[in-house]
Amino acid sequence: MSATVEDPPVTDRPAAVRLRDVGKTFRRRRRETTALEGVSLDIAPGEFLCLVGPSGCGKSTLLAILAGFTPADTGEVLVDGRPVTGPGPERGVLFQTPTLFPWLTTRQNVLYGPRARGVLTPEVREEAAGLLETVGLSEFADAYPHELSGGMRHRAAFARVLINHPRVLLMDEPFGALDAITRAGMQRFLLELWQRQRTTIVFVTHDVEEATLLGDRVSVLSGRPGRTKAVIDIELRRPRTYEDTETLAFVTAKRRIREVLEQ
Amino acid sequence: MTLTQDSGVAVGQAGPRRRRRSRRRLLVGAAGILAALVGWEIAAYIVGDPVTMPTVQETARELQHYLAHPYPQVQGKTLVEDGLISTGRILAGFGIGTAAGLVLGAAMAGVRVIRELADPIVGVMRPLPPIAFIPLLVVWFGIGEASKVALICFSVLPVVTIATLGALDAVPAELSHASRSLGASSFHTMLHVRLRAAVPGVITGMRIAMGGAWTSIVAAEMIAATGGVGFLILQAGNYLQTPLIFSGIAVIAVLGFVFDGLLRLLLRAADPTARR
Repeated sequence: MSATVEDPPVTDRPAAVRLRDVGKTFRRRRRETTALEGVSLDIAPGEFLCLVGPSGCGKSTLLAILAGFTPADTGEVLVDGRPVTGPGPERGVLFQTPTLFPWLTTRQNVLYGPRARGVLTPEVREEAAGLLETVGLSEFADAYPHELSGGMRHRAAFARVLINHPRVLLMDEPFGALDAITRAGMQRFLLELWQRQRTTIVFVTHDVEEATLLGDRVSVLSGRPGRTKAVIDIELRRPRTYEDTETLAFVTAKRRIREVLEQ
Repeated sequence: MTLTQDSGVAVGQAGPRRRRRSRRRLLVGAAGILAALVGWEIAAYIVGDPVTMPTVQETARELQHYLAHPYPQVQGKTLVEDGLISTGRILAGFGIGTAAGLVLGAAMAGVRVIRELADPIVGVMRPLPPIAFIPLLVVWFGIGEASKVALICFSVLPVVTIATLGALDAVPAELSHASRSLGASSFHTMLHVRLRAAVPGVITGMRIAMGGAWTSIVAAEMIAATGGVGFLILQAGNYLQTPLIFSGIAVIAVLGFVFDGLLRLLLRAADPTARR
């Protein structure tokens, strides 16, 4: 049911995200740490790709490179065929913490991107109201982040990114710090959102169950230095719901990832 | 689309509860001050000597009288005038010192060489009591306004510098990253995220600096001045006018409270989490 590819095939089909031999080394106090080595990966438009790996394997570094926060030392990083040179609104980033601006209300947070780029029109304001409705925060549009619960803050961060119409969503363990119930709610919310919009998503997690539930494919990274160990197809039916986690097919897929991870 | 219904703090119902809480806090605070005054009054009756310990009424009478009448009668100033002189010195010195501290702190946070250059200097200056420099400042600037303003600058500058540097350092990198990936330029991010996020910390530093400024100005006015609340208190002390000493102290207390209150209002305006 799942195909393991030891070396991801280099193809020429159009990719939303293309990584070729990406490497990154950190130098701190004369000690070199190789975080990533020779990572290659193609992500198709509209695909939901999960990156899993042991902690410290460089999956967050890979995401930071895609986001444009840190440059790669070697290799090629292309998003929509263009090399990544810095952060940009076409790549929406969701962090482990919601990183809302605490001095702005929920609505002002959502409008931050359009305002900063000077494209704040009445239509954008209307769209923001619609997005707040979608993420269930209409009543909290004028509340400040500290007045929201953990899950609400994450949904506000979602709306803040979605108003930019990103081509790719980069998510770095976004639900890692949430309690189990809220996390399940956020996973359901993300699945429904992706089902409707089909944005390309790169989702970093260390939770194998989460990766199995969300991803079309799961890329397993090895421990430091991070390398692609395997890319596993998750051939579970879509749309998926949280109830699918109890099916045999799901458990089998999950075990498969865990086996590769523990090799 | 189904929504996750996790519980948040309902914003609507927080209003009246908060108002009730703040009224309660005001009442309890007033009761505390009243209790202190009662304690003072009892102590005054036990001591029974108006020079050592005047009663509250006596002090209040003196305070009321000298608000409008000069002390000493010849060439003296009223309490209001002295208060205004001290306030003017504080405002000038605090303004210049804060502005300089902001610039220096921001430069230290932004430019590595400046940080490495200024860090030891600020580190050495900070524990020095500004009062120790009064004679030097008098030699340099005379006994006019310049030496007082310079002294307050001197006491405010290191505090605001360190507060600004600390607040800027404490802004999480992710906040700037979020801003950049939402499409803001690096300049916009610097202005609207990094500096903006540091504002509450800077204001807290300003509140601490304001306390130090009052300490310095009163000391300076006692050593070399011909006006100001510190000068008045020293004169009153020389002539054993204890109620007037208390009056001067009360004026400083009120002014200090007012300035701290203004800075607290500023903090509330800048930081939503401070609005409780």
